[in-house]
Amino acid sequence: MIETIELTKRYEDGLLAVDHLSFSVQPGEIFCMFGANGAGKTTTINLLLNFLPPSEGMALIEGIDVTKEPLRSKDFVSFVSENVTLYGNFTAFQNLDYFSKLAGKRKLTKIDYAKALTSVGLQEEAFDVRTKNYSKGMRQKLGLAIAVLKDAPNILLDEPTSGLDPKSGQEFLKLLLKMRDEGKSIFMSTHDIFRAKLIADRVGFMRKGQMVMLKTRKELEGEDLTELYIQYMDERES
Amino acid sequence: MLKDIIKKEILETITSAKFVFTFLLCAILILLSVFTGISNYRSDQKEYSAALALNKKNLESQTSYATLAQLGTKINKAPQVLGAIASGVDEAVGRVATVNIAYDPNLVDSKYESNPIFSVFGALDLTFIVKIVLSLFAILFTYDAIVGEKERGTLKLTLSNRVPRDRLILGKFIGGFVSLLIPLIIPLVLGMLILLVSPNISMSGEDWIRLLLMFLMFFLYLSVFFSLGLFVSARTNRSSTSFLILLFLWVIFVTVIPKLSVTAAAQLNRIPSVHEITAKKDAFLQQVQGSAQKQVSDWVNQNRPKPGEDPKAFQGKIKKFLEDFQQESTKKIDDNNAALERDYQLRKRSQEGLAVNLSRISPASALMFSTMSLARTGIDEHERFLASIRAYKPIFTQWANARMMRNLDFTGTGQNVKVVLDDMPLHKFEAEALSKSFVRTLPDFGLMIVLILVFFVGAYISFLKADVR
Repeated sequence: MIETIELTKRYEDGLLAVDHLSFSVQPGEIFCMFGANGAGKTTTINLLLNFLPPSEGMALIEGIDVTKEPLRSKDFVSFVSENVTLYGNFTAFQNLDYFSKLAGKRKLTKIDYAKALTSVGLQEEAFDVRTKNYSKGMRQKLGLAIAVLKDAPNILLDEPTSGLDPKSGQEFLKLLLKMRDEGKSIFMSTHDIFRAKLIADRVGFMRKGQMVMLKTRKELEGEDLTELYIQYMDERES
Repeated sequence: MLKDIIKKEILETITSAKFVFTFLLCAILILLSVFTGISNYRSDQKEYSAALALNKKNLESQTSYATLAQLGTKINKAPQVLGAIASGVDEAVGRVATVNIAYDPNLVDSKYESNPIFSVFGALDLTFIVKIVLSLFAILFTYDAIVGEKERGTLKLTLSNRVPRDRLILGKFIGGFVSLLIPLIIPLVLGMLILLVSPNISMSGEDWIRLLLMFLMFFLYLSVFFSLGLFVSARTNRSSTSFLILLFLWVIFVTVIPKLSVTAAAQLNRIPSVHEITAKKDAFLQQVQGSAQKQVSDWVNQNRPKPGEDPKAFQGKIKKFLEDFQQESTKKIDDNNAALERDYQLRKRSQEGLAVNLSRISPASALMFSTMSLARTGIDEHERFLASIRAYKPIFTQWANARMMRNLDFTGTGQNVKVVLDDMPLHKFEAEALSKSFVRTLPDFGLMIVLILVFFVGAYISFLKADVR
């Protein structure tokens, strides 16, 4: 489970990036967080990964306070960033091998890597190609394959679908749904309301570091997510 | 995990284009420098042997002890085999000194003197390549070691796993450094093999130890720039900024500090010029020579044989007087010159010491001083050699004076005397022992280790606190 309790981040220059944010993502749930640039979505992920110390409140992964036990908490979380840029001189296999070992998966073989790459929809011909020659979609898939192999119960995704072509985007969502069905808690920050609408169990809107709206899939039925998004953006503008 | 990080660092580097470029360039430059060094050493050896033979022939061809005393003997500095690796000051300072009864000996005829173009660019020895080229590569390998991963996003991905930051930076240091050493070690081993199999190159066990210590110094020097690179990379947010800062620091360390320290030492601790010392020596010589003429003529007037006395007895007396007088006069001149020289050398050494200590802030200076000391091509070895020649001068003078006076010809026949060289004292110089050279290099080794620790701890602390976003 992913959880934040009154999580707050105020930078040294006084900027309040996250303001008393509380939410949780249950096992088998996809939580999509919307918000304009600078709303605090990525800062929230950085706080959950302990890349930043919180000013107040707590960030918990599987009930573990990430500030108190940062290393242990990382055993239970996978991370896929907006622009997955891996080691360009390495092939997909080499990247997977390195990151799997960092994740403590030392007994995986090339067959396991091939399975993971196939599961995220990467073509077999690309397995032994240096990743600097990959397209963005291929890199995102590889990033997801790293998360698949880590097999952590919680997944944090920072705008993972931005820049993906429709086909890659579709495959990406399918894989997220599969992971959700396996019982993983998935937190995704995104601007991509169309794709999020297809998979989100709950959505939240962030503005100026606060969660200004939280709706379940059921509550969203009959509502136009696009209009809601624009409405909250307009409020931000005003 | 540390092993995985190290392995990844090595693999990532050796599969990159910059590694291939570095490796090729290093191989070419290192092997070229070893070849050039060996070839120079061989020609220096030939020149040295020829000079010794010529000097012997010249001495033997003298027709009188007087001409021998005036012309003197030439002392040549033997080339150092490790000069092929670190030429030091050997090419800039003189290689030969003339020791005669008249002048204070000095080393002249440097390589730069005979071919000034070399002094413009300096020697392409291995020390130069490590000092300039490889230190730049160390920067090239590390400037984006941390900030580059931050920019690419791989640092976040790495640290989203159970990876302690201290282990990550240690792995990066070890892996990156090993990657940098590969382009150095392979050509170095080849270079050593060339040294081993080259004809006319004979290296003693001590020489090999010296060479290994020089290589150790090379590794430490590169570690300094490597840890500096990590430090700056851990403290910056853009790899371009990191590169510029490192380039600036490299220029300061490698070129500015060493040159500035010599200039600063010359300003802070002024010493008289060589010309002033020579003028003082000449003035004293003229004074002694002036009074000598009067003293000799006074003695002759007082001791002139009276009518009826045996002129042969007078000749015996005057020979004895002239020998003693000559020895006394030369001793006066030598003592005065030695005192002037001693004072000058003390002041010069104090100025040099100041320059050395000021410049030691720079690892490049420490590298130069230590490798020169180990190769026996440094300033100290040069001064020891010069001091040995100056110590030899009174010994030669005493011998030459004695032979000259004992063979004074009063017959007026101008008959030549056979010059016998069997008992001529020879100049002896023992090169500095390894233990002494090692002690001399200890401050440089210490400084390198301190700099590595400071920069690495700086990188370590900066990385522990770094914002990895």
